[in-house]
Amino acid sequence: MAIFNLKKRVIECKIVYYGPGRCGKTTNLEYIFKAYKKQIKGEMVSINTEGDRTLFFDFLPIGLGKVKGCDVRVQLYTVPGQVQYSSTRKLVLRGVDGVVFVADSLKVRREKNMESLQDLQKNLKEYGSSVFKTPLVMQFNKRDLAAQGIPLMSIEQMARDLNRQLKVPYFETSAFLGQGVGQTLKECMKLTLQSLQKQVQWAQ
Amino acid sequence: MSVKSQIELLLREAEIYRSQGLLVEAKGKYNVAVDLIGKLDQAKNKEALIQAICRKIKSLTISYHQIERAQEAPQMPPKVQDLVKNLFSFSQDKDEDKAALEGAITLAKFGQYDRALEEFSELTKKDSLRVVACKNILRCCFSVYSPEEAVERYKKWLKDDLYSKEQLQKIRLFLEDLLEKKGIEIQLPAVLDADEATIDQDRVDEDLIDISSIGITFEGGPQKGQMVEMEVSFQSGNMISLIVSSKDRELIESLKVGFRLNDVQFFSPIAIFQGSGIVMAKTKINSGPKRGDYSLDIKIVNT
Repeated sequence: MAIFNLKKRVIECKIVYYGPGRCGKTTNLEYIFKAYKKQIKGEMVSINTEGDRTLFFDFLPIGLGKVKGCDVRVQLYTVPGQVQYSSTRKLVLRGVDGVVFVADSLKVRREKNMESLQDLQKNLKEYGSSVFKTPLVMQFNKRDLAAQGIPLMSIEQMARDLNRQLKVPYFETSAFLGQGVGQTLKECMKLTLQSLQKQVQWAQ
Repeated sequence: MSVKSQIELLLREAEIYRSQGLLVEAKGKYNVAVDLIGKLDQAKNKEALIQAICRKIKSLTISYHQIERAQEAPQMPPKVQDLVKNLFSFSQDKDEDKAALEGAITLAKFGQYDRALEEFSELTKKDSLRVVACKNILRCCFSVYSPEEAVERYKKWLKDDLYSKEQLQKIRLFLEDLLEKKGIEIQLPAVLDADEATIDQDRVDEDLIDISSIGITFEGGPQKGQMVEMEVSFQSGNMISLIVSSKDRELIESLKVGFRLNDVQFFSPIAIFQGSGIVMAKTKINSGPKRGDYSLDIKIVNT
């Protein structure tokens, strides 16, 4: 849940990168950490384990400058994607203001994408929220692998699988190369701030 | 596409999946490649190629099992634990003790049990948070140690002057519930009033005679006002044991451990006297002719 400090004119909000295991959530944050050094407000915290998988979460605090005279601070998180870390995923999702759903474009990961989106929907529901009401942006990641001859799903198929009902903005990305990472974050921030603006009328 | 091209593509895919950490998918592609190579009649170095791929499959299997076996919640460095407490404690309670409790709960939720236990133990010193801290200690014991460890902690608290009877009763009920949910049958020692446990008991112990049977008059429940007579199967000082038939369901259910019986008639060969008792243990008999019945231990606390 966003924190508004109208006296100090500060808004703090939380964006969570969600998606199946090994889809590139941490790679997104790593790229943001490298590419937006000026805005980074602290160290990136990652707790990885065997096989370099995210075990708890990644955390990266960034500043987005001023919006309508308010200092906007964003906390970026990733969740562990592996199915067995369900309880940690739910904990990290608590109080979320915006979500980036990172889908894996590899054909072999089609089912995992859909399972993860279902999991997101279920967890938001358990917090009394809804995947339809939460600011959400999708990323169809690993598009760069097409150049190596690896079978990827078409954008149309991914949109059909994941975005038919949600109809949220989506981006073709390669977090590994940094392509589309900034645009995704920017769009998610835009939707999140619009949603927060509806909740609180901040002083002009 | 020629078979050779298919095999090349499969191997390239498998290699990329492996590099992406998608071990199951990589293994799947390698297996298909091995099958295809096996079907080739005149492949150069066919056996050597199959062996090389099989080595990769073996290595993937090892990595997969290592990940599966990896500890689900390893201990984080203290600095990260502090960050977790800070990031995932949502109440922003200005009461320092309550904030400390929430921090400890957050650590436990993230599987940081050692530090959570330390912090909960510290919080048991605060009267207002003692019960909730103890409940969380018991939860941690169940998660990280064993139900037996939780029972040991409870027994330790029973002996500690810090805990009031009311607090111990609440903790006991909570532990009883945890054990029940796990389907574990452990008889927890009852919480005794300090007076009952010392002064009255000493007096009763002094001159207690042999009791052959007892009559319990219930003050409430479905048997309210009725006197139920039962034979004593064993006596040791002020502790008597009775056998309750499995058919007496109502009786078994109403005689819970810790339940105080205020109206009991004790029958002995030389006299009948009135007094009270506390149900100390209730154990299901699992073998012998009385199998299925319950053995009930009642402590005579006042005569």
